[in-house]
Amino acid sequence: MFNLKFSRIALLGGTMLLASPLVAQDSGALIDLLVKKGIVTDQEAENLRADLSRDFANNTSAGKLDLSSTDVSFKLSGDLRMRYEYNDQVPELATGAAALNNETSRQRFRFRLNGDVLLQKGWSAGFALETAQTSDSANQTFTGAADDYGIFLARAYIGWQPNLNWNFVLGKQKNPMYATDMRWDPDISPQGASEIYKYFTGAKDTFEIRAMQHIMQDNNEQVAGPLGRDTWLFEQQAVYTHWFSPENLSNAIFALGYSAYNQSNIPSTATVTPTNSPINSAAYVGSVRAQDYLTFAGEVNWANVRGEGTGFKVYWDSSYNTTGATRAYRVYGLNPALFSKGSTAWLAGIGYSYGTGKVQGDYSAKLDYRSVGVTATDPNTNDSDWALSKLNEKGWKLALSYNVNDFTNFNVTYFDTQILQKGMTFSLGNLDKSQELLVDLVVKF
Amino acid sequence: MKKSTLLFLATLVAAVVARADGKLVIKGSDTLGAKLVPQLAEAYKAKNPGVSFEIAAEGSTTGIAAIIDGTAQIGMSSRRAKPTEMSAGTAKGVTLKPTIVAFDGIGIIVSAANPLAKLTQRQVEQIFAGDIADWSAVGGTPGKISIYTRNTSSGTYSDFKALAMKNRDYASSSQKMAGNEQIAAEVAKNPSGIGYVGLAYINDPGVKVVAVDGKTPTPATVLDHSYPYARPTFYYTNGEPTGEAAKFLEFTLSDEGQKIVRDVGFVSPPKS
Repeated sequence: MFNLKFSRIALLGGTMLLASPLVAQDSGALIDLLVKKGIVTDQEAENLRADLSRDFANNTSAGKLDLSSTDVSFKLSGDLRMRYEYNDQVPELATGAAALNNETSRQRFRFRLNGDVLLQKGWSAGFALETAQTSDSANQTFTGAADDYGIFLARAYIGWQPNLNWNFVLGKQKNPMYATDMRWDPDISPQGASEIYKYFTGAKDTFEIRAMQHIMQDNNEQVAGPLGRDTWLFEQQAVYTHWFSPENLSNAIFALGYSAYNQSNIPSTATVTPTNSPINSAAYVGSVRAQDYLTFAGEVNWANVRGEGTGFKVYWDSSYNTTGATRAYRVYGLNPALFSKGSTAWLAGIGYSYGTGKVQGDYSAKLDYRSVGVTATDPNTNDSDWALSKLNEKGWKLALSYNVNDFTNFNVTYFDTQILQKGMTFSLGNLDKSQELLVDLVVKF
Repeated sequence: MKKSTLLFLATLVAAVVARADGKLVIKGSDTLGAKLVPQLAEAYKAKNPGVSFEIAAEGSTTGIAAIIDGTAQIGMSSRRAKPTEMSAGTAKGVTLKPTIVAFDGIGIIVSAANPLAKLTQRQVEQIFAGDIADWSAVGGTPGKISIYTRNTSSGTYSDFKALAMKNRDYASSSQKMAGNEQIAAEVAKNPSGIGYVGLAYINDPGVKVVAVDGKTPTPATVLDHSYPYARPTFYYTNGEPTGEAAKFLEFTLSDEGQKIVRDVGFVSPPKS
């Protein structure tokens, strides 16, 4: 039965529910309670539910979506980046390298849209759409006559996480490996399969085994020999994470790995020229063996070093190709007498940050130095920006970022590199020096 | 007079004539439309000889869609309209208005030959979601569980998911039936079967109802909401009903109509 007190409670409850359509979908339990307590009748409750549901449907975009009941969540996200890019590259002309258009400036943009669906029973699926078709860059240069531009499918994956320990992903996916851009361009979404096993020892330590089988090139099996075999990159890592204290987010990560290709039949002549251009946007066809990389990467993060929210980090990466000399000679056709520093690559960097990069006023600065031998990393996967994707270079990368607001970043990145070992005639390693400046405005949604 | 005005007037006259012939179109829920509403219609016709009925019981979804499309005056539904249906109605100038005509309890039934007498809510969820596939896991006679559910256009299908399964999907092995009677018939002849039906069907021959957390669906447990799978059933109309639809709704809620509701096996809503 209604009384004054209950009437006021019901009115207050109803007003609260109606005040925001967003809570309409959560109001069922409260309405049920009002009915059970006899504050409103079943029919009054139904009228209230219908009003709330109508309000939700008419005034929110979510109310117009009809997602499958198997979806636990469906997240749409993405970003739009406007970029000014300037680079100046000087080839080592003494080696016979072609003269380049030394200075280039471009206005570019990148659009990415991600859809990630979390399904029941630990399953997930997702996609990503982005401008530009090359695997290592979604940048689209503003070209002539107000051209329109294409959209490409950059990710399409199915995931299954049966429990906290195991995670399996099939398809074109986010890179599951721990690495810096010295070895893996962050724009690349590997394709194939990946498996991660996580072992937790207490609250402070996590040990992971990560493995990935990446389809580098699908070849026509009708062709005899190595050119007819599919090319796979197999990479596996042991990653150890230690949290110094659960409270202050300071941690250390160490990742030890090994990666190799499956192709084994290397032509015996020293004059092999790969069919495709040796840059990372196009994979080698056929003779890609002699890439057996031992890798070690990691970082140490100190949180709240100069007050709440500040952080200082040291990070590194390294790679050693155990068959580097063979690769230099047989694949690149380099004179072994000139080849001495080519099998090793290393990177060391420091960073300082305030905040997480998600709130207005957050900022970060990172500076690293790297030296990359001509056979030390995979030219199919290294960063396309640093030294313009060339190998046999050493130099700096400086990256600054500032949050204009919670969803907009202003970034400046500068690269300065020079040749590591002179006299290499192969086009992959004959860049005498380079500079590049990237100025970005990124809006995330 | 412009052609468009003439066309509008002709359409209006045709509509008035269509209503004036006393035909009431009712579509939707099988739970309501298989037994209850036909009996209400017969009783109503006996008192109003000029009225005819067209009743199609093909699931709650079809009833709500018929109100949105304007192809029925009353939409029977054993579930609430979804926000997307509300939105679709608004886009067509239709205001979906629910009126509770009866309460129902979704009973869990097994074959009369099955010795099982009770389950917990968790076990019901696990059985229908496929987590439990053998009767031995819930204290029954060992054997593979055969699950019978309603088809996807049924309001009971989605209501049961919401009430009993935390909106999880049914087991892939579940067999989808057109109506309550079909489920009861299949469960009756399959000692390993389990299904759910409305209150009106729990006493069908060859089946027995299983207690859930110690409660069986009865008028008392449904009305006081202590039975976990109790739900209201609705007539949906476009705003306040008018004409014959209003009269039939009034008849359904009258003492005479509610007696039929109880006789068929549903529970009368408490009087306001």
